[in-house]
Amino acid sequence: MGRILAAVAIACLLLLPLLLAGPYHLHVLILTMMYVVLASSLRLINLSGQMSLAHGGMMTVGAYTSTLLVMKAGFPFWVAMPLAGFSAALIAYVVGYPFVRLKGIYFSIVTIFFSEVVVLTAQQWQGLTGGNTGIFGIPRPSPVVIPRILRMDFSSKTDFYYLALVLMLVSLIILYAVERSRIGLILRGVQQADSLAESIGIDTTGFKVLAFTVGSFFAGLIGGFYCHYISAISPDAFSFLFTIYILVYVTVGGEKKFVGPILGAAVLTILPEVARPLKAFMPFLFAAVLIAVIFFVPEGMAGLPDLARRLMPRSEKRPARA
Amino acid sequence: MLEIEGLSKFFGGLEAVSEVDLVLNEGEKLGLIGPNGAGKTTFFNLVSGVITPTRGRIIFEGRNITGRSPHDIARKGIVRTFQGINIFPDFTVLENIVLSCHLKPGIGLVETVFRTAGSRRKEKAILSRSEEILDLVQLDGLAHVAAKNLAHGHKRILGIAIALAAEPKLLLLDEPLGGMNAHEVSETMALVDKLWQRGITILLIEHNMRATMNLCQRIVVLNFGRKIAEGTPEEIKRDQGVIRAYLGAGGHAA
Amino acid sequence: MSAGALSQSVLNGLALSGIYILIALGLTLVMSIMGIVQVAHGEIYMIGAYAVYYMIAVLGGGFFLAIVVATLFVGGLGVLLERLCFRPFRGQPDRAFTVSIALILILQNVVLAIAGGNPLTYPSPFTGVLRILGVAISWKRLIIVLVGLGLLVCLFLFIKLTRTGQAMLAISQEREGAALQGMNIDRISAVAMFLGCGLAAVAGGFIGSLFSISPTMGSFALMKGIAVIILGGLGSIPGAVVGGAILGLVDGVLPALTTTHIAGLVGFATIIVILIFRPQGIWGHD
Repeated sequence: MGRILAAVAIACLLLLPLLLAGPYHLHVLILTMMYVVLASSLRLINLSGQMSLAHGGMMTVGAYTSTLLVMKAGFPFWVAMPLAGFSAALIAYVVGYPFVRLKGIYFSIVTIFFSEVVVLTAQQWQGLTGGNTGIFGIPRPSPVVIPRILRMDFSSKTDFYYLALVLMLVSLIILYAVERSRIGLILRGVQQADSLAESIGIDTTGFKVLAFTVGSFFAGLIGGFYCHYISAISPDAFSFLFTIYILVYVTVGGEKKFVGPILGAAVLTILPEVARPLKAFMPFLFAAVLIAVIFFVPEGMAGLPDLARRLMPRSEKRPARA
Repeated sequence: MLEIEGLSKFFGGLEAVSEVDLVLNEGEKLGLIGPNGAGKTTFFNLVSGVITPTRGRIIFEGRNITGRSPHDIARKGIVRTFQGINIFPDFTVLENIVLSCHLKPGIGLVETVFRTAGSRRKEKAILSRSEEILDLVQLDGLAHVAAKNLAHGHKRILGIAIALAAEPKLLLLDEPLGGMNAHEVSETMALVDKLWQRGITILLIEHNMRATMNLCQRIVVLNFGRKIAEGTPEEIKRDQGVIRAYLGAGGHAA
Repeated sequence: MSAGALSQSVLNGLALSGIYILIALGLTLVMSIMGIVQVAHGEIYMIGAYAVYYMIAVLGGGFFLAIVVATLFVGGLGVLLERLCFRPFRGQPDRAFTVSIALILILQNVVLAIAGGNPLTYPSPFTGVLRILGVAISWKRLIIVLVGLGLLVCLFLFIKLTRTGQAMLAISQEREGAALQGMNIDRISAVAMFLGCGLAAVAGGFIGSLFSISPTMGSFALMKGIAVIILGGLGSIPGAVVGGAILGLVDGVLPALTTTHIAGLVGFATIIVILIFRPQGIWGHD
C-alpha cells in the first residue's frame, strides 16, 4: 500500500511542472522538498536520542563550501555540491565526539551554540566569506546535456525543480535505507537504553556520532543546493529560528515514523501558501499547532491513524459477549 | 580467567569499593553477597567498565581491561545485566534479542544499508539464533509482545537473554531475582545453571541467600566496600564476620 | 591607547559582564533546576525590556521603579509559564523543549503585534560622567555594574541562607539525587522561574537604556547566555558568573585594543577550542 502511494506521489511530482502556472508555485515546491530532506535528516539524528539544533549551522557550512569551491576554486557545481555535504559531515564528525558525550539538554545547548559559532565565523572571516554582506552572484549549476534528449541549463525554475526532486528522492532513499537497516535498529536501541546497549558491546558513542554525521551531510547538501538556487548566501541565512522551524516540522509531522517529517514539512510549508490571507498569523498558528501536538497528539500527524484506531468505539472490535 | 587486584573506587570522600582482590576461574559459579550498600553493584560497574577504578587492576584472560569502555569489555566477553533498565522497552521481545545478537556474525555498516546478499544471510542466521535463545529461556511464546508490556519476572529473564545473545564468556548477573516469586526464582536459577553448563562462567550478585548458596560453588562477601569473607557456601554460613555484618545491617543470613 | 579610552572600554566590558551574568544566571537557574532547554529565555528578556519601556515612555514612571515593576511582572509571568507550560512535561525534556519553541513564536509575535517592529528607545536617567583621577566614567554603565553586583550578592545570600536556595543549588548540581530527597519540586521550580525570568527582565531593562529594543532582541541574549554557560560550565552557577565576567570583558575591551576583526576572531577561536575540547565548560559537569 505504502509503495503504491509513494509511486503515485512520485509520478505526480514528476508531472507537476507541466500542470502548474507560475514560477512562484514551483518555488514553494522547491522549498518544500528542501525542507523534507532537512526534516528527515534531522529526524535521523534525533533517532539516536540526541536532539540536535546544529542543522542550520551545517547548512551554512555546506552553502559556503559549495560557493567558495565554485567561485574561488573553479570546481564544477556537480562536484561542489556533494562536497558541500561532505564538508558538513566532516565537521559533524569532528565536533560530534566531544558533543555526544554530553547528556540530554547539554548536547542540545552546544549544538545551538555550534550554529552560532558558524554564523560568527562566516561574519568574521571576511577574507574568505565576504563577511556580513555575504556573497552574491553565485553561478547557476553548470548545464546538464544529454544530446538530443535533455538540456537543462538552469535558467528556469523548472530545471531547479527537477534537481530538487532528484535530490529529495535520493536523500529519502538513503535515509530510509539507513533506517531500515541494522543501523536503524541499533540507533533506536541506543535511544531507548544506552547503557544496556553499551553492555552488550554496542559502541553507543560511535553510533550517535554516525547519526549526527549522516544527518548533517544532508543539511550541508541542501545548503549547497540552496545557495546556487537563489544565487546568494549570507552568514545568518540559516539562523537559529530557521533550525527551530525544521524541528517544528519534525515534531508536528511525527518523530516516530519515517513519513512524519515528510508530512510535517510538506503540510507546514504548503499550507501557509494556500491560505494566503492568514500569512500574517503564521507564527501564531504554528505555535498553536505545536502546542496542540504536544498536548494532544504527541505522535504528530503521522500518528493520527494510530490515535484514531485507539479512540474507535470498542464495540466494533470486540466480539459480542456470550 | 578474571583477576582483580586491589580494586578501589572513591566517590569524593566515600570509599565505595576498597582494596578488593578476587580471582575467578573459568567455569566457576561465584556468588557476591553483602548487605545493602556494600558496594556490590559498584564492583560490577568497575568490572564492566561503566566507571573507572581509582586504584587497582582488572585482568581478564590475561589482558588488562582496567578503564576500558563498556562496549569494549563486552566485546571481549564480559557481559552484565542491570537491576534497573535491562530491556529495550519499545522493541518486541524478539527485536530485543535480534538487536543483541550483533556480535556474531558481525554485520558491516555498508552492507546493512545496501542490504547485500551477505547481510541478508547474516540477518537470517541472527533471526534463527534469536529464536533459539527465546526457546531456551522459554519466552518464545511472547516473541511479538512489546518488552515494556511484559510481566516483571519475564522482563528479568529477557534481560538475561539479551546478555546471552551477546556471546558472553563471563556473565555478570546483577540481582536477577529481584521481585520474583518462589516459582520464578527456581526457574531462573535453573536457567542460570543451564547457561553455566553451556560453558559460561557466572558471577552473581543476589540478596536471595538460599538461591545463591544453592547455585554457587564459591561465595565472596563484601561489606562497606571491603571483602570480608570468601569460601564455600558452608564456610560462609558459619563465618562470624558475615553473620555480624548482616545482623548489624538488619539483614538476615540464610 | 590612553588611560581614559582604556578605562572606558573596561567599564563597557564590566557593564556587558553585568548584563551577561544576569542573563546567564537566569538561564542556568531555569535550565538546571527544571531540566529543560528554555530557549524562550531571550524572549523573556525582551519582554522585560518592553515592560520597562512601557513604564517609562507610556506611564511616565521613573527608571528604577520601571525596572522593579518589570522584574516583578516578568517574574510572575515566568511562574505562570512554569505552571501552565512546563510542569505538565516535567521529566520529558524533548516535549518541554517544543513548548519553549512555541513560546518563542508566541511571545515574539505578540510583542510585534502590540508594539510594532521598529526599534524603540528610552533614556537612562543616569546621564553624565563621574570623574576619577581625570578619567571620565559614564554613570549609565557604572550603575549597571553596581546594580548587577548588588543583585549577585542578594542571589548569593538567598542561595546560602534560605532552604529553598540551598535546595536549588543541590538540584542544579545533581538533579536525580536531589529529587529523591523529597524536596518540594513544584515550589522550587516556581521560585527558580521567578528568579530566572526576573534576572532576565533586569538585564533587558538595562540593555534598553544603553541601546534600543526590538521584538527580535531576544536571540542576542540567548546566544550570549549560552556562550557564557558553555564557557563557565554547563549547569554551574558560579560558572555563569565567571563566564559572564570574562565574556563581557572580552566583548568590551578587545574591540578597543585590536581591530574588530581580530577581536572577533580571538573571541570565537577560544570558544571553538572550548567547544571541541571541553564542551562542558570550565566548571561544568557532564
